[in-house]
Amino acid sequence: MTPGAWQPSVAMAARNLRRNRVRTVLAVLGVTIGVFAVATLGVFGNVLALGADDAIGDIGTQVVLSPNADAGVESLSDADVAAVRRAVGEPAVVPLYSDGAIVSAPTDQQFATVYGVERPGLAFEAAEGDLPERHRDGAIVGAELAENLGVGVGDRVEVAGGQTRVIAVLAQSQTFSPVAPDEAVFLPESAFAADGYDQVLVVSESGAEASAAAESIRRSVNAREERVDVFELAAVVDEINEFFDLLGTFLLGLGGISLVVAGVSILNVMLMSTVERREEIGVMRAVGVTRRDVLRVLIAEAGLIGALGAVLGTVLTVVVVAGLVVSTSAVDSTIALDPTNGYYLLLALGFGVGVGLVSGAYPAWKAANERPVEALRS
Amino acid sequence: MYSVELDGVTKRYPGGGAEPVVALDAVDFAAAPGEFVAVVGPSGSGKSTLLNVLGLLDDPTDGRRLLSDTDVTNLSVAERTTARKESIGFVFQDFHLLPTLTAVENVTLPTAFDPGDASDRAADLLARFGLGDRLDHEPTELSGGQKQRVAIARSLINEPAVLLADEPTGNLDTDTGESILAEFDRVKREGVAVVAVTHDPLVEEFADRTVELTDGVLVDGVPADEGATPADHAPADPPEVDSSVPEGEP
Repeated sequence: MTPGAWQPSVAMAARNLRRNRVRTVLAVLGVTIGVFAVATLGVFGNVLALGADDAIGDIGTQVVLSPNADAGVESLSDADVAAVRRAVGEPAVVPLYSDGAIVSAPTDQQFATVYGVERPGLAFEAAEGDLPERHRDGAIVGAELAENLGVGVGDRVEVAGGQTRVIAVLAQSQTFSPVAPDEAVFLPESAFAADGYDQVLVVSESGAEASAAAESIRRSVNAREERVDVFELAAVVDEINEFFDLLGTFLLGLGGISLVVAGVSILNVMLMSTVERREEIGVMRAVGVTRRDVLRVLIAEAGLIGALGAVLGTVLTVVVVAGLVVSTSAVDSTIALDPTNGYYLLLALGFGVGVGLVSGAYPAWKAANERPVEALRS
Repeated sequence: MYSVELDGVTKRYPGGGAEPVVALDAVDFAAAPGEFVAVVGPSGSGKSTLLNVLGLLDDPTDGRRLLSDTDVTNLSVAERTTARKESIGFVFQDFHLLPTLTAVENVTLPTAFDPGDASDRAADLLARFGLGDRLDHEPTELSGGQKQRVAIARSLINEPAVLLADEPTGNLDTDTGESILAEFDRVKREGVAVVAVTHDPLVEEFADRTVELTDGVLVDGVPADEGATPADHAPADPPEVDSSVPEGEP
């Protein structure tokens, strides 16, 4: 079947559609709305999921290990840290000392968590200043603490009575974890006189990697004795992602309902128009037009309605989404322009055309198979 | 040879009661090339059924049907469609032109889905029927007589063996009806067998032969003397006859 074989059918179909413009426009409008509903709800669901993913993205990438007090483990030794490194492989392992202390700036003072860290660059990012490869001197201040105390790089602060200079201010943390860097200050390990670490951070690239790391720690480090408590949120993130998948499906389903309604309206339009044109179709059959060609003309009519509505609905969706991105700051343009949204547009476009063809199939088949002698009798 | 022939054709419809309705009862009928046959009879006598069976729109219950000596009694739907397109032209009382198509497009309708463009031939046909200046008019812009001429041109687009007409003058005034019948006269002189079912006495005047159908029974459906049919002389020189037709006839 070559495309050329369809050309006369499509041309005749287009004329038939022009004959009853109001009805054609209404049917196209039905599909437009249906496709618009599917596309917008699909894109909205996707934007929601992407936005949430963006916001909670880092939650699942950290695993926090702490000594298991129930088993009598008070702190984690260098041997424990080495065991963790062996267990996790790729992800960065950052052991931390921790304590609480008053942190004073010239103008203000506040109680804060104080961490001792040797390689801060593996787990944190600086908003101001640079994080040293090895932290030997000075204080790294969390974003909120720096704001509260009104300090920046180069300022002097007093931590637990000891004077030091701020070498960096951390970027606002995206992470939800027991280690809250925003309201903490980070000193070199040498500032602590403890004989073991209080926490170990395992920083992974992705949630899946974090899960794997947590799992292997449970299997190897905790094999004989439950030495460490493993805190990870990857499982929670999985749950959240599942929820957004469900939400997306639900929204698509809502859109799908309107597309089904549009399909029924095409079915109705095509049935009406084939009943009205019963005699004409009978004449075509009588003068030797084959059933297949009659079927093609009618399928082409329904397909044109579906395609026209689908294109309009898709364009309308693009316009509305673009309008939202421009008019509100709530939707991040990088999220709106994410290629996965294009998938929903294509999906809606395809569904629109498909609905047209499926809804047109029955009336077309019925009309093409009617015996011309019956059709001409009226 | 006959263009179209029915041999003992019976057509029964399942009726409302136990007894089927007999629309055609062992009908023998034939029309020779170049012959104009009028079929008359009261309403419900089976005229339309006869035309439908002749036109391959309906199949006989019994008997044989021949088209140019080929048995076409039992054809598939697709074969019947092809046979209609190639060998049979239809002219209806209500003209049955497609309102979205121009005169030329209506004439080419039977070939519209085939490769190739029959527009030139359609334009020639329309010009022959005096519609050379109406080629791109839609049916709503044409008078009844003009519409019927377009319909006749459509029936001739594939050079059929038979032209079947169902009350061709039924919706036309007497003068227009007469001019349409004159067109039939030209058509038959080109060797086409014309069969018209009608109530119109005018049609009988133009016909070579009139047969009467009463309650499905047809008397003298086949010419008594085959040797004397117009088939033997009329189609012998169609080009000459064709060219003799005056142009611009109303």
